[in-house]
Amino acid sequence: MYKYSEKDTQFLVERVDQFEKQLNRYLSGELDEDKFRSLRLRNGLYMELHAHMLRIAIPYGILSSNQLRALADVADKYDRGFGHFTTRQNIQFNWIQLPEIANLLRDLTDVGLHAIQTSGKATRNITADPLSGLTEGEIEDARPYCELIRRWFNLHPEFSWLPGKFKIAINGAKLDETALRIHDLGLRLVKNKKGELGFSVYVGGGLGAAAMIGPETASFVPIEDILSYLESVMRIYNLKGRRDHQKKLRIKFLVRELGAAEFSRLVDEDWQQTKNDPELKLNLKELQSLKEDFELPIDPIDLKGFRDEVDFNYSIWKKNNVRSHKVSGYSIVTISLTKLGSAPGDATSEQMRILAKLADQYSSREIRTTKRQTIVFPFVRKDEVFDLWKSLEEYDLSSPHQGTLAQIVACPGRDYCDLAKAVSIPIATRVQERFNEMNKLLDIGDLNINISGCENSCAHHHIADIGLLGMQKNGEEYYQITLAGETLHETNIGKKLGPSVSSETVVDAVENIVNVFIDNRKSEEKFTDVFKRIGIEPFKEKVYG
Amino acid sequence: MVDIENPTSLINKDYESIELVIFAEWIEDFERLANLGVGLILEPGDDVYLIQNQLDLIDLIALDFSNFDDGRGYTQAYLLSKRWKYVGEIIGINAHLDQLQFMIRSGVTSYQLLESYKGSNEEDYSNGFSLCYQAAANNNGLNLQY
Ligand code: HEM
Ligand code: SF4
Repeated sequence: MYKYSEKDTQFLVERVDQFEKQLNRYLSGELDEDKFRSLRLRNGLYMELHAHMLRIAIPYGILSSNQLRALADVADKYDRGFGHFTTRQNIQFNWIQLPEIANLLRDLTDVGLHAIQTSGKATRNITADPLSGLTEGEIEDARPYCELIRRWFNLHPEFSWLPGKFKIAINGAKLDETALRIHDLGLRLVKNKKGELGFSVYVGGGLGAAAMIGPETASFVPIEDILSYLESVMRIYNLKGRRDHQKKLRIKFLVRELGAAEFSRLVDEDWQQTKNDPELKLNLKELQSLKEDFELPIDPIDLKGFRDEVDFNYSIWKKNNVRSHKVSGYSIVTISLTKLGSAPGDATSEQMRILAKLADQYSSREIRTTKRQTIVFPFVRKDEVFDLWKSLEEYDLSSPHQGTLAQIVACPGRDYCDLAKAVSIPIATRVQERFNEMNKLLDIGDLNINISGCENSCAHHHIADIGLLGMQKNGEEYYQITLAGETLHETNIGKKLGPSVSSETVVDAVENIVNVFIDNRKSEEKFTDVFKRIGIEPFKEKVYG
Repeated sequence: MVDIENPTSLINKDYESIELVIFAEWIEDFERLANLGVGLILEPGDDVYLIQNQLDLIDLIALDFSNFDDGRGYTQAYLLSKRWKYVGEIIGINAHLDQLQFMIRSGVTSYQLLESYKGSNEEDYSNGFSLCYQAAANNNGLNLQY
């Protein structure tokens, strides 16, 4: 597994030292609230309703078992014994005391973890497909590119004070697990006619009150030129992005105001000045060395004659949680942390340590996190999947929910977040209670329900099959419903069903929608297929009667 | 004393006092002002591209960093210094101690702090970084690692 070099680790330590000085100046009153806000966010620190939240980066969603153990220690030592895996593959701690933060971060530098640019108006942690490098038919493993681009924009002097946050996703697979076109900037690895590798670039996507799908600004940027291209995008954004209006800071508003064609032209004009600058070429030697670092830790094995165990519960779990690996003899196993009543994505320190131990035993000491807030074991031998399941059973981690509608994505909502208009987690719990029969869940199949507690859309409700958005009407909590959002094969923002529904009726509405889907479904059709075929009307009729 | 509106002045790196004009005045009247040997103040919103072809007429350019969250000055500094190879002094005015590393690496050649930092201990702000991850206008002695 790729590990930071000594120099990189030294840099992390230096960054913690710097942050500690900033924190001390704030605590002594020398640094004012506004400036500290700007500085602390650049190091992942939010001041929340009840306490302080700290977001730690999990670069491209990959953790070693040692890193996970270190996170478990942090949860015990500095928090209340749990952490929260987010939809951007990071982890958040919700109960942190200010004076302890530097020590917490120092503990994490030992295992190469940090909070650099996990928030604030700069480039954020880069997301990638959690299955990068694992599946058949990939164009290219995105991880080495993620790492090179992450480094380049680490405390970049020109682009650390952008108008708004800047989120990048990179996808090297055919299907888009990263939702790249709803990012500020999405990169898709592609090959041109000559078979050369490059990126197509999408700029100006984003969710929130004005959800937008990023248009393509360049169809092919050769890999060695990607840094200069990205700099040009950020330069135009830095100079021209809206800074005057709190709700229009993201690059999507600039792209919309200028028009995609004009925006692309400005970027291209700037890029022509820099693309031949040798200093800005991607370091191909380093790329090669990273490819070696990211090589899979397994070789094909021949399991001829192997017959898996027969067990009813095991086979249900296996159907939803195990998928095929490009390396023969291996499987990819997803572990759902979903439990009735607990926040989606929450993991206790005990669970983290168990997962770390199981990853040592069954998955070459590697763990991945996903945007559905689940955990992936990327390297499980086929003939050990049953043993892994047995252990998961023992620790109550064998929820078969992953891949069913019970695997709900929900933001912290009003229970933890002071921007919230409504609760999210209790709604998730009520939906899970309504659909608590495994046979029914298996019959419904994979269906995404995402719940955000306000328009900031942290739970990505726009791109779910069924999206719920919390809002206030006359002091009561209501939910707006959107249907058939997707990113996997193509990117579509969910369509509004109609007037928002009350908290009391929202679960009925969800059930009605699911029933319309089941009643109309033909053979293998997914929710979005049915929606495209029958339109929104049948859903409306059923919900609003 | 030269004939300019709202004259302000600052001390340049050679400890000489130099008169500054604001951007709008420069654009309006640069031919006359150029002969007077003045410096120019750029606010973050001023369009730096408009002076791209006049750089050898300007003795010094002061970029205003007073707004902590407004990062446009960093791109202005980069364009002036790295792209257009401006040889005069690029001075960051109303600077914040926490942002010196960003200013200098973007191409600012000297700085004047905001009043409010008078008496601050610069040690508390020093970064102590041993490396940087990107080739910028000025790597400021850091090892480049990427
Ligand atoms: C309770 C603490 C949280 C606060 C105060 C918060 C705040 C915000 C705000 C203000 C935005 C909108 C920013 C903008 O559009 O400029 C946002 C976006 C976002 N947040 Fe959070 N958030 C919190 C927790 C989370 C969690 C737990 C997750 C992951 C599960 C998350 C994931 C996201 C994502 C993915 C977006 C981007 C949505 C988009 O594409 O527009 N946030 N958050
Ligand atoms: S969507 Fe709104 S309520 Fe939910 S975490 Fe984000 S800001 Fe808070």
